[in-house]
Amino acid sequence: MTCTLGEVKNRADFIIYWGGNPAECHPRHFTRYTLTQKGKFLPRGRKDRTMVLVDIRETMSAKAADIFLQVRPGKDFEMLTILRALVKGQTVSAEAAAETGLTLEQLQDLVNRMKAAKFGVLFFGMGLSMTRGKHMNSAAALILAAELNAYTKFVAMPMRGHGNVTGADVVMRYTFSYPFGISLTRGYPRFNPGEYSTIDLLVRGDNDATLVLGADPGATMPKPAIEHLTRTPTIVLDPKVTHTSRLARVHITTSVAGISAPGTAYRMDEVPMPLRPPLKSPYPSDEEVMKKIVAAVQKKPAWYPVTRTGAQVT
Amino acid sequence: MTIATATEPVKHALKIVKNATCTFCGCVCDDIELHADATRIVETKRACILGEAWFKNHTAERLYPDALIDGKEATVDEAVEAAAEFLHKANMPLIYGLSNTTCEAQREAVWLAELVGGVIDSHTSL
Repeated sequence: MTCTLGEVKNRADFIIYWGGNPAECHPRHFTRYTLTQKGKFLPRGRKDRTMVLVDIRETMSAKAADIFLQVRPGKDFEMLTILRALVKGQTVSAEAAAETGLTLEQLQDLVNRMKAAKFGVLFFGMGLSMTRGKHMNSAAALILAAELNAYTKFVAMPMRGHGNVTGADVVMRYTFSYPFGISLTRGYPRFNPGEYSTIDLLVRGDNDATLVLGADPGATMPKPAIEHLTRTPTIVLDPKVTHTSRLARVHITTSVAGISAPGTAYRMDEVPMPLRPPLKSPYPSDEEVMKKIVAAVQKKPAWYPVTRTGAQVT
Repeated sequence: MTIATATEPVKHALKIVKNATCTFCGCVCDDIELHADATRIVETKRACILGEAWFKNHTAERLYPDALIDGKEATVDEAVEAAAEFLHKANMPLIYGLSNTTCEAQREAVWLAELVGGVIDSHTSL
């Protein structure tokens, strides 16, 4: 259950940020959408809203929060589960609550506030989804938001970084019905994170060529993964000669999306935005180069009898 | 005094783009005003500290070769041909990244993954 940031701006009177530091990572999130803006149903802006920050340390964002809850590192799943129990009115022992680094009173107070809200939002960041428990934490956060809808309107939204990573999810979802980690080696899509996710593939050495578009795994990935990128042919499309370009067989310089290349990018709430590039680059765009690679591959014999109808144009 | 003013760059009329979109983070703010000359963005109104750095960091100068094959300069068409050959020859090619690019390029990447029978994955899996 999610919504657009416009709805948050106009309706949300109770906002939780969990495992994220928007003050430093999404600097305009507070001022454009969530906290300080006056909304249609929140005429007094910040005064009409309550903000809770849940994190393992007091970040810059804590200054903007009404309530800061310091969860013990790696205890997010326990805290979410206790909150779910309290929402349903079940008894939770003080010891179980203490394990999260918070008191039962603090957790009960949070639940009371969540239930009393007119429109609550839970924004969760990588501090929740990339720590112990990983996708189970995200699932618990989504279920908590869903269950709160028995009492009030409550939604959850991931705090996406990395420009148009939301767009990648959307494009793959509307094409394959899966958002990432998709294998087409049998000619139809199969989704299995852990098997078809990049780090796992590279570390195991499963794939025998890589095309990198709009990323620099050579600078960020673990050593065994980078070694596999060096061992097998790697192709990089990037506006700069990156770490990955230096270990790649092929590098193609492209223009920068939104600065010198036009197109569309999705906001974290899955609202598509047109790009308005002010500069004219001497390099082709990612789109133009990708179209050329597709055309060059299409001239070669098909590995499997596929129907060549082309990408659907909408 | 006169020498100092003479060496100052002549202020050409800057290209102004209103409601430009910033793709640095997931906020994708679309209310940025950009002032640009022929090669670089010189002013960013309403952008945050990250957005300003993003816009000013990228220019339209020719700083890198068009393409590289095994570290040697090549044309885009040669590099495209080499890329197609590597991907076509592979049994299980991987297409990865898709973050700092447009949806239009992502759609081509999806089509390419289908054509070569590979795996496609984004930053989401990290």
